Amino acid sequence: MSMRHIWAVTRKEFNHILRDRSTLILVLFTPTLLLLLMAYALTVNIKHVPIAVLDYDNSPTSRQFVQQITAGQDLDIYAYARDMSQVEAMLMHGQIKAAVIISPGFASDLQALKGIPMQVIIDGTEPQSGNFAVDHIAQRAEAFVNQALATQLQARGMSLTSLQPFDLRVRTWFNPGLKSQNSLIPGLISMVLGVPALSVALTLAHEREHGTLEQLLATPIGRGELLLGKIIPYIIVGLINVIIIPILAIAWFHILFNGNFLLFFALSALFLFGVLSMGMIVGVFMRTQAAALALSFLVVFYPGFFLTGIFFPLTSMPEAARLEALSLPGSHYAIITRGIFLQGNGLDVLWPYAVMLIFLGIVFTLIAALFFRKKLG
Amino acid sequence: MTTPIIETHGLTRDFKATRAVDGLDLSIAPGELFGLVGPDGAGKTTTLRLLAGLLDISDGQATILGFDLKSQAEAIKPHVGYMAQQFSLYGELSVLENLQFFAELFDVTSQARVERTERLLSFAGLTDFKDRRAAQLSGGMQKKLGLACTLIHQPEILLLDEPTTGVDPISRREFWNILTGLHLGGTTILVSTPYMDEADRCSRVGLIYNGKLIECDTPQAIRGRLEGDVIELQPEDWKSAQKTVAGLSGVREVQTFGEALHLLVDSGKKRLPEIERALKKSHINYRSARIAPARMEEAFISLIRKAEE
Repeated sequence: MSMRHIWAVTRKEFNHILRDRSTLILVLFTPTLLLLLMAYALTVNIKHVPIAVLDYDNSPTSRQFVQQITAGQDLDIYAYARDMSQVEAMLMHGQIKAAVIISPGFASDLQALKGIPMQVIIDGTEPQSGNFAVDHIAQRAEAFVNQALATQLQARGMSLTSLQPFDLRVRTWFNPGLKSQNSLIPGLISMVLGVPALSVALTLAHEREHGTLEQLLATPIGRGELLLGKIIPYIIVGLINVIIIPILAIAWFHILFNGNFLLFFALSALFLFGVLSMGMIVGVFMRTQAAALALSFLVVFYPGFFLTGIFFPLTSMPEAARLEALSLPGSHYAIITRGIFLQGNGLDVLWPYAVMLIFLGIVFTLIAALFFRKKLG
Repeated sequence: MTTPIIETHGLTRDFKATRAVDGLDLSIAPGELFGLVGPDGAGKTTTLRLLAGLLDISDGQATILGFDLKSQAEAIKPHVGYMAQQFSLYGELSVLENLQFFAELFDVTSQARVERTERLLSFAGLTDFKDRRAAQLSGGMQKKLGLACTLIHQPEILLLDEPTTGVDPISRREFWNILTGLHLGGTTILVSTPYMDEADRCSRVGLIYNGKLIECDTPQAIRGRLEGDVIELQPEDWKSAQKTVAGLSGVREVQTFGEALHLLVDSGKKRLPEIERALKKSHINYRSARIAPARMEEAFISLIRKAEE
């Protein structure tokens, strides 16, 4: 290993990044743009779900009930239906996501303390909104019934305390208010910081396509020297993003940052080492830039989306998928970003993930160097 | 005879269905300026890439400077300067930066680099362009920069793949003056070219066709190997003259050179009077008809014809 050779390649690659505007934009600003885009697109705080009400009872009690379930910003009444065919039409046209059907005798059944027949229909093509509506309606219905019961019991001279044998108080730690962005964005960060891996995957194919690889291979440069020299500039550019991205997350999205920034920076460097070596493997095997781009999407980004636990919890995945996730730097880094941002974890908790990142980086670099041959064709 | 600096035995390279280089036996002595000539697709580029260690050898063996090319390719590289056929430097780097890059990869000390850079730039005529990006140089200047980059580590062997293809005649001449200078300085040069006049400037020429070396000798000897003579004819109407002489016995080939016709015949002395008689009979006037010295081109074409048969 000659430092001089590595440095020569690194400097050349830096000049390429700085002088080729499209590469510069790709490596420097894509993570920021991606984070902005995805954070807004993927924020799922459901509000104002349109519903219809079909009230067969049409009593003061039933009207009071409807008023209670639609109070607040969660559900909006789109229309009062006269019969089932109207409900059907509205669901069909996508005007409503759920419908509440109140049977005749709602008020009298409640009065008689019998089971209250009530039906909720939801649009299964958009289950999130539908389920949200069901949960919400069920919650409000329970409160409503409890209240009705309490009034009656009181009227009969019974005490209220016996009605509450179970006192559940939920407290959310690390993300009080359960703001979805608080957990989403640290996860997204682990994804967007992997973008420089794309450029690394392209760099060898770029040289191949431009014919410069031919001249390069005719020199005595070592394989490891060449690959390392090519990765280093992208680690540095990646680290610039490691500074920009948290600032964006904190200043723009008001994400909590409870951890140590230096630790975040250091572990991010390890992540970059791992994910960029992965990009380098792609570059070693693919002959053209188009193929390298396609494959790096396949091995760097899609698994990053589905297997790193950002959107789908790893614990609910089948064994094979979990093993695959284990071999991705992104899944370890996703745990690290969340741990540092939200839980304020230190190395005492995060060290196994850091070790895994180093391990993966070394394995990937070795694979790349092993399969990279100083030959054309 | 001195030990050859480049030696191959049955050097072969296959690409899927095609055999690009087929059992090549080459032996090049130190200090030679060896020209590898042949038509497009003959296997010149593959041969040079093999010798530069850029391709795997399918069969046969090669030794360069006593190193085995198959197992010691990396040990050979510091001693060789290879220049690819197409422009293969970094377009976004300046002339100076390209030179510096290759100097560092070849472990040239920075002191030697500064001194050599200055010399190479001046003899390549690039001193005034040293800060220009390589992509913005003319084709001829790019070739000269390519040569300068392959010379920065003062290699003992130069492998140049069609260094003058697509270059204007003046740049071509300058380029060959540089090569001749290097040759006189003792560098062993293996250069491939499709141009016959360039082959004439080499100390030895190897004729490659369909991946095989069909002839290997000095240019004079190759010209002498032409079976038959060349008759140069300057008719007033070359079209009818061409028709008349083409069918005559002993005339193997007719080529046009502007107004003139070059006839390849089995024997000049015997055929010249016959041709003159035939032309007179057909009332075709001509300014002159004489036996001309064979040129590399005729020799080359006739040798390839022979190889095809």
